[in-house]
Amino acid sequence: MFNLSQSGKTKTIQLNQSSPLRNLDPRTKLWMCLTISLAVMVPLDRLTLFFSGYILFVLWARLLPEMVRQVWRLKWILIVLFFVDWWLVSLELAIIITLRLTLLSGVFALFFSTTATTELGLALESLGIPYRYAFSINLAFQSIGLLQEEWHAIREAQQSRGIFIKFEGIRQLVKQLNDLIALTVPAIVLTTRRAWAITEAAYTRGFDSPNRQSYNEIKMKALDWFVIVSFLVVISLFIFWR
Amino acid sequence: MLTTLQANQVAFNYPQNNCGLEPVTLTLKKNQGLFISGDSGSGKSTLTRCLSGLIPHLYRGEFYGEILIDKTSTRDLSMWEIANKVGLVFQNPAHQILAPTVESEILFGLENLGLSRSDMKFRLENTLTQFELIQFRNRSPHTLSGGEQQKLALASITARQPQTYIFDEPLSMLDTTSAVEFVKLLEKLITQGNAAIICEHREKYLQQSKNISKFLLHGKHRNIIHIPEKYQTYPSTNDPFLLQVSNLSVEKSGKKIIQNINFELQAGQIVAIVGRNGAGKTTLLRSLAGLQKFSGKTVIHDGKCNQKPLFNMVFQNPDIQLFNPSVKEEILYHIENPDFDRYRWLMDMLDLQRYEDTPPLLLSEGEKRRVALATALMRYSSHGILLDEPALGQDESHKQILVRLMKKLADAGFLIIYTTHDLELAAHADQLILLNKNGIVSQGKTSDVINLEAAWHKIGLIKPEWMALNV
Repeated sequence: MFNLSQSGKTKTIQLNQSSPLRNLDPRTKLWMCLTISLAVMVPLDRLTLFFSGYILFVLWARLLPEMVRQVWRLKWILIVLFFVDWWLVSLELAIIITLRLTLLSGVFALFFSTTATTELGLALESLGIPYRYAFSINLAFQSIGLLQEEWHAIREAQQSRGIFIKFEGIRQLVKQLNDLIALTVPAIVLTTRRAWAITEAAYTRGFDSPNRQSYNEIKMKALDWFVIVSFLVVISLFIFWR
Repeated sequence: MLTTLQANQVAFNYPQNNCGLEPVTLTLKKNQGLFISGDSGSGKSTLTRCLSGLIPHLYRGEFYGEILIDKTSTRDLSMWEIANKVGLVFQNPAHQILAPTVESEILFGLENLGLSRSDMKFRLENTLTQFELIQFRNRSPHTLSGGEQQKLALASITARQPQTYIFDEPLSMLDTTSAVEFVKLLEKLITQGNAAIICEHREKYLQQSKNISKFLLHGKHRNIIHIPEKYQTYPSTNDPFLLQVSNLSVEKSGKKIIQNINFELQAGQIVAIVGRNGAGKTTLLRSLAGLQKFSGKTVIHDGKCNQKPLFNMVFQNPDIQLFNPSVKEEILYHIENPDFDRYRWLMDMLDLQRYEDTPPLLLSEGEKRRVALATALMRYSSHGILLDEPALGQDESHKQILVRLMKKLADAGFLIIYTTHDLELAAHADQLILLNKNGIVSQGKTSDVINLEAAWHKIGLIKPEWMALNV
């Protein structure tokens, strides 16, 4: 029907529909992530074992590509930390720190690749977080792709008027800082405008209504309780086993 | 007829500047549409915020007068109570997306009405069917085309069944076909017993409607356009050249955006590119500006040698470019030894003199676009200028300024290429290029191309009968 001159295509987080974790309650997945994060406390021998088990679990959950993508984004941080720790302390510490960070970053992929933001909102609400805050957290996750797109557009627009942000030595520092403002001011303005536009849009659709009734609901199933207990047992074994 | 909305001497001043809305009195009844017309900066958007209760509930500033919805003042109603009776559709649908899927976007408003689940489900299914959105129900709204997003924005308000609709420049981003379809839908809503207020620059689309009457809004600053004789000509000239584009194609993520574009354009020409959304108009401009990777060849022949085209580009959204504390500093930023004759000529020509010391980010959308245009034109060494939808947010008088400026630049030997969905603006070009996803459908003298009915049909655009094209 209608057609606009500006399409506004945006990268969004893709849900992995084929993962068995997709059907779990978001609260169960939050619990899983929490327990996996706790496991980073264990010493190296058990951490290596736990990491191997974790990789098998990720393979079963069909989430290895998502996890690898997430860890790949942090590759330079992981590499630098590994060599700095090795050089300054020991190889053992370097391996522990790298494995821990890899685990923690992978956990995010595990959760967000299998959970829609509406489900996250419902989970937060059911955990007692007021609706307006749960809604804000939801929006923040949805906006990540939009922010990337806007940053790219700003860089392109400034390049077209001859503003290229690159290091040209200490003498040019003031000029470069000014040029950096050319990127940050529009970014702040656009983000603020977007936040304000969303606030207006929400209020003109009754966001402050005391009568709000949620359409979707989440319910814990037997499988969820089984997963919660299993993770509790496994993590306890890893932490307390002597 | 039943009065649904009444504004008595409503005025507003924003705290950051003394602009806003001059006192307005109007009455809106059931089965009535009111089309608010006025220059840029006359307060149309501010009026929509007042009528929908956002002012005074969300905005700080001085609010005068009274707005009555069913005889109750908006001051005495909560935002959600106002929202239940008045629905506001914003100019840019992408800015009002709140939910991750089409279905949840519609449900957001329904949940806030406090309906039972069965009622919500009934209204949801009805709305998805009515607006032909069923196939998109689980898609992210951000992955929809702009037209589909506009449809969703209207659907998410319509599902709430308000008695009054307010539209803030709903046609500004629509092509002619979509604009005509929108007006039909608007008429349907009005005949079904609703009332509607539409703030819009493109008045001809609404003037034909029997149920919609016009209301003229006078702003604080009337636009008096004066161009001093001294600066009547553009203080620069180029050697004659020819832009040759051969087999230009762009592919993104394995998808062909534009393919096999071939044309030749001469210095001193004004060229309009017209096509529906997704036809690749902006991508073509970005390729010519050197911002987009493409296959094929673009070259400038100036009689002596071949060189790479050097075009300055003005983007659709001026907010991505402006950051300086004053208009003057913005225009002169990064220019060594600026030509002040050219600067003054541009300030006069673009009607920006009175804003020289004003922060550009405080200007209206139309004014910001003119600052962004001046910023591009102050830069040297270019063969011409590329304008992406320059008519957006511009009232008639400022469109005339734009046309005059383009003619002056063309006379000075520059090549001007612009994309537009405003066919009246397109009619001012020397050359017209009709573009669709498969490439150029037609190219030639505007007076010839404008009469090629088959080509217009092929790109999916209609020319409304009332449209007087100044070819």
